[in-house]
Amino acid sequence: MNARSIVLKMQITIFALVVLFTVSGSHQVHAQFLHPKIKSKETTIRRVIVLPAKVNVVRDSMKGPEGMAAESDELSVRVEAMIAEVLSKKKNVTTVPTTGTSAEGGAQQKYDVADFQTKFDELLPKIVKKRSDVKKGRFSMGDEVLNLNLDKGADAVVFIRGEGKKLTSGKTAFRLFVGGMPAYLRLQIGIVDARNGEVLLYTDPILVGDPTTAVDRLRKALEKGFKKLPEVKAQ
Amino acid sequence: MFPHRLTNLIVAALSFCIVFTSVGPVALAQKKTAPVEVTPPPVREEFKFGEVDLEVLQQADLLDLRFERDGLVLADESANAFLRRVGQSLIPRGLELERVSWKFRVLRDPQPNAFALPNGSIYVTTGLMTLIDNESQLAAIIAHELTHVMRRHTYVHNRSNRKKFLTMNVMAAIGAYAPGGVVGAVITVVTTVAPFIMIATIYGYSRDLEREADLKGIDMMISAEYAPEEMVNVMKLLNQDIEGENIRLFYNDHPSLEERIKYLSGYLGGRADRVTHQMELNRERAAYFRNVESVMRHNLQLAINAGRARSAVYLAQRLVDFHDDSENLFWLAESYRTLGPRAPQLTEKELTNSAKKDAAKKSLKRTAEEEERELLATPAGKDNWQKHQEMAEQLYRRALSAENPVPVAHRGLGMLYEKLGRGTEAVAEYEKYLELAPSASDRQRIQRRMEALKEKLK
Repeated sequence: MNARSIVLKMQITIFALVVLFTVSGSHQVHAQFLHPKIKSKETTIRRVIVLPAKVNVVRDSMKGPEGMAAESDELSVRVEAMIAEVLSKKKNVTTVPTTGTSAEGGAQQKYDVADFQTKFDELLPKIVKKRSDVKKGRFSMGDEVLNLNLDKGADAVVFIRGEGKKLTSGKTAFRLFVGGMPAYLRLQIGIVDARNGEVLLYTDPILVGDPTTAVDRLRKALEKGFKKLPEVKAQ
Repeated sequence: MFPHRLTNLIVAALSFCIVFTSVGPVALAQKKTAPVEVTPPPVREEFKFGEVDLEVLQQADLLDLRFERDGLVLADESANAFLRRVGQSLIPRGLELERVSWKFRVLRDPQPNAFALPNGSIYVTTGLMTLIDNESQLAAIIAHELTHVMRRHTYVHNRSNRKKFLTMNVMAAIGAYAPGGVVGAVITVVTTVAPFIMIATIYGYSRDLEREADLKGIDMMISAEYAPEEMVNVMKLLNQDIEGENIRLFYNDHPSLEERIKYLSGYLGGRADRVTHQMELNRERAAYFRNVESVMRHNLQLAINAGRARSAVYLAQRLVDFHDDSENLFWLAESYRTLGPRAPQLTEKELTNSAKKDAAKKSLKRTAEEEERELLATPAGKDNWQKHQEMAEQLYRRALSAENPVPVAHRGLGMLYEKLGRGTEAVAEYEKYLELAPSASDRQRIQRRMEALKEKLK
């Protein structure tokens, strides 16, 4: 076997891997998992509290990744607002303001929210490892959710995590010639029962494109992400 | 034919040059690593800020705000003031550093850790503050972090990384357009291997900077009259690895703790011989515990929340040994209740690197409740569970019979009885708790539990 055929074989393998990644990636776009209680309509999500989103994006340049803390904060706020909008417009789900969990509250309130967010971060890798188990009702954050003392009318709490990459113009050109990951934003959204902490829904929409500017694509990805969530009938 | 071959050779030579010009200086620099002389303060005076550094600085400022906003900074003024006092005592008098404003903060995280941002913010986690024994050990940690800031390590490392990333990308481009033939194959091999070498140098450089921070930190400790051997003792404490989480990976950004203990002990040599009265005072355990008792209690709650039950038991026991008041006894009881069927210590076999890796993989696959259920199905797990529940009950009772008993001990007993299936007793304890602490923040949760239990008991 000569060197050229070795290179050709490697190129074919890489191509196959890229195809595989793309196929599995596109599957993830629609991945959403509902707790059996939601499917059987034993539990209905009518009113939710959206906890502050934690979305992190980096700028990928030829000289490596660079932090984008300010843009990440802005994007977190935008994602939070857009999720509330999508839930309201497409599913008739009302967003309850997070009274009692605001930053102006006392230190203990701030800690309670921070600790509950951390608890979700600890559960998240386990959910991601076997997302389909949400359908079996396997994941719960426990009744500590009640310590948040949320609005009594809230049915669920929404957790939002995200990570993304924006490419510099140099890296975009490089990608055209050499290949590599495009700019993207991957969100991980969990909806948790506000009474017992059960994970009612998990979805991880992905959008390809500049995460800081692709507003319409973000909305579309979110609409797809919540497609399976039953719509609340207007009373 | 000939010109084509010549082009191939030029491309091959170019790719080799790129690899070796980038790796060479680092490899040589590693060989040149010599003992650091005692020349405090360890300031990088020749440092000039560039645009890239200013961007890093801006990110650091935003990170500070984020920690504050997200409730990660402990709002305990006395603890932060204590940290500030120790930190300020280490900074050479009159030292002014461009674009550095010193801030010392306690971070709410049960994992033992500390880090510095290039803008002068030093964070020590509650987990680390609880683990250490005295003020000198805290000074050792801060001195290490101060060195990172004074020597501008973040900026220097970032600049170095940018060059290496650029090299990796150029190599990838060359590899993508490698010609055919033997030369092409050589180029492909070189460009495939190059990123691994680059990554190794990134981590290698990081380890060099850590080593420098350790050694310069010792010099700073001596100047501020802190016993320098306490730096070694901190490493020994961290090396206990109560939770089995110090896993050695293929690439590591810090030298191993064993290695750090070894080179620090070697560096100390005669430096540890001089002991002043102030050094002795700074090594006093009780004085340190008095200063950080509230941090230790706060950390126990965080450790329990994070499922770090072994650490919680170990740390709560230290706290009770220091001061066995009602609150500290309560925390020890809570820790034992959370420990449940787990063994209080990991075995030697469980502490091997491969066992720790396996455990980490396994913990990703199951929730804490599933782990508990699995353990309870084993004789050892059942035995541990019984022992720990008994221990917890005794300690809750002691907490309630101590002076100024804390009402939360009733809540703890309620939860214990609920788990043991003693519903009536659980309800009675919950009621007592809510009676003694009517404005408790977890009132709603306990009421819900009581309602469910009463329903069951009907």
